[in-house]
Amino acid sequence: MLKVDNLNVYYGKIHAVKDLSFQVNEGEIVSLIGANGAGKSTTLKTISGLLHPKGGSITFLDKDITRAPAHSLPAMGLAHVPEGRRVFLQMSVQENLEMGAFTRSGDISRDIKDIYRRFPRLEERKNQPAGTLSGGEQQMLAMGRAMMSKPRLLILDEPSMGLAPILVQQIFDIIKELHRRGTTILLVEQNAEMALSIAHRAYVLESGRIVLSGTGKQLSESEDIKKAYLGGH
Amino acid sequence: MNFLSNLISGLSLGSIYALIALGYTMVYGIAKMLNFAHGDIIMVGAFTCVVFITNMGMHPAVGVLASVVVCVVVGVLVERIAYKPLRSAPPLSVLITAIGVSYFLQSLAQLIFGTNQKSFPKFISLSPITIGQLTIKGESVVTMAVTVVIMAALTLFISKTRMGKAMRAVSEDKQAAELMGISVNRTITITFAIGSALASVAGSFYGLTYGFVGPYSGSMPGIKAFVAAVFGGIGSIPGAMLGGILLGVIENMAKAYISTELSDAIVFGVLIAVLLVKPTGLLGKKTNEKV
Repeated sequence: MLKVDNLNVYYGKIHAVKDLSFQVNEGEIVSLIGANGAGKSTTLKTISGLLHPKGGSITFLDKDITRAPAHSLPAMGLAHVPEGRRVFLQMSVQENLEMGAFTRSGDISRDIKDIYRRFPRLEERKNQPAGTLSGGEQQMLAMGRAMMSKPRLLILDEPSMGLAPILVQQIFDIIKELHRRGTTILLVEQNAEMALSIAHRAYVLESGRIVLSGTGKQLSESEDIKKAYLGGH
Repeated sequence: MNFLSNLISGLSLGSIYALIALGYTMVYGIAKMLNFAHGDIIMVGAFTCVVFITNMGMHPAVGVLASVVVCVVVGVLVERIAYKPLRSAPPLSVLITAIGVSYFLQSLAQLIFGTNQKSFPKFISLSPITIGQLTIKGESVVTMAVTVVIMAALTLFISKTRMGKAMRAVSEDKQAAELMGISVNRTITITFAIGSALASVAGSFYGLTYGFVGPYSGSMPGIKAFVAAVFGGIGSIPGAMLGGILLGVIENMAKAYISTELSDAIVFGVLIAVLLVKPTGLLGKKTNEKV
């Protein structure tokens, strides 16, 4: 479904992503894990068109999207929930959801209802500015907003960042449910333990390169991974 | 009664400032730049009216419509040619470019129309309305009425329509807006088009109020409308409306009761005083620091 081939991205003068190749197959949950600054977010931003690579190619659903502008991708079925949620703080919860469906035509009220059924907290606050929501609620709004575009591939960048453990669990339950309902997921996480527990396959990034890959289970049992990313136990 | 009639001409002048200030504030809110060439669009609009109505003898309605179209085209072209290549340039480069565009438009107008002022066609000739001892000029009534309608329409557009909401999204977070499928470039183009259309309407009213238009006619109302936008809180649409109207009233009151010569100094003095007390302007929001 998504194929990244030999990708090289510079962030200013920094060579942030080096010869990166990986793929996501339809129906999978794939996770990219790695320390801060390993190039995970840069990779995601390049896939969704916010950054453009120096070299390499990105193919999504058999179309070359290497240089496609970011705003052309939601209509193709790719949605990206960025790091730090980036909801529109001054707009209402409902308006945020409407923006998620910007590229769709036709009636979206059923889908908004569907999001509210899944996130009752959002319905209670639908007319409030998103800036008044808590961090966890904002993450749910960011995910709901992305789902409004009916994506085939959902890219999630650090969805658990800054959230209390109970909320982290909730966010991961939602990811699993979205996956069950047919959405393919590409997940970047610093919480490697959680990420590996739900991922079919995972890639480990270190200074812009993939250093390890395997199934979620293999990687969570690997001694190197345990030492480097799972707190050493 | 004198006070009331001064107040009404102030409101009418303020309406013109508000129409121009809306263009400043919307462009600032969305493209995060100060378009100092915005004032000169008023001049472009007023000259277009002169060409179509006086020179070509067209119906005033055609002239006003033509002025809207010409201003939109000029505004969008300026954005495409001068500002778009500077999207990721430092703000200072964009600011200097905007000043350059302003001089360019003024010089172009000089080249085409000469340096002398042309008389503006008085295409609205309503008899003054008299209520008791109070007399209101017909043009003032039209200016205020049209401005109110435009403001209401713009407010509805921004708060209710899909495109209006997309504009608010872009003004808050360009990258997140792109991820929603909103083209930031297209949104900026639309913003310039709307701002220029409003400026052309302001140009017609300005011409009607003063009766003349010259190559530099846009410069002073442009600066005052910019002051109005900052006064109301730059980036805020209700702020530009309020700021523009207040500025017109203050200017007219200063002219009537203090001194005609000092009126501009008083206007700018008020701006300084307001910004000292409330640096974000009357309705400006404190911008959140990005984490």
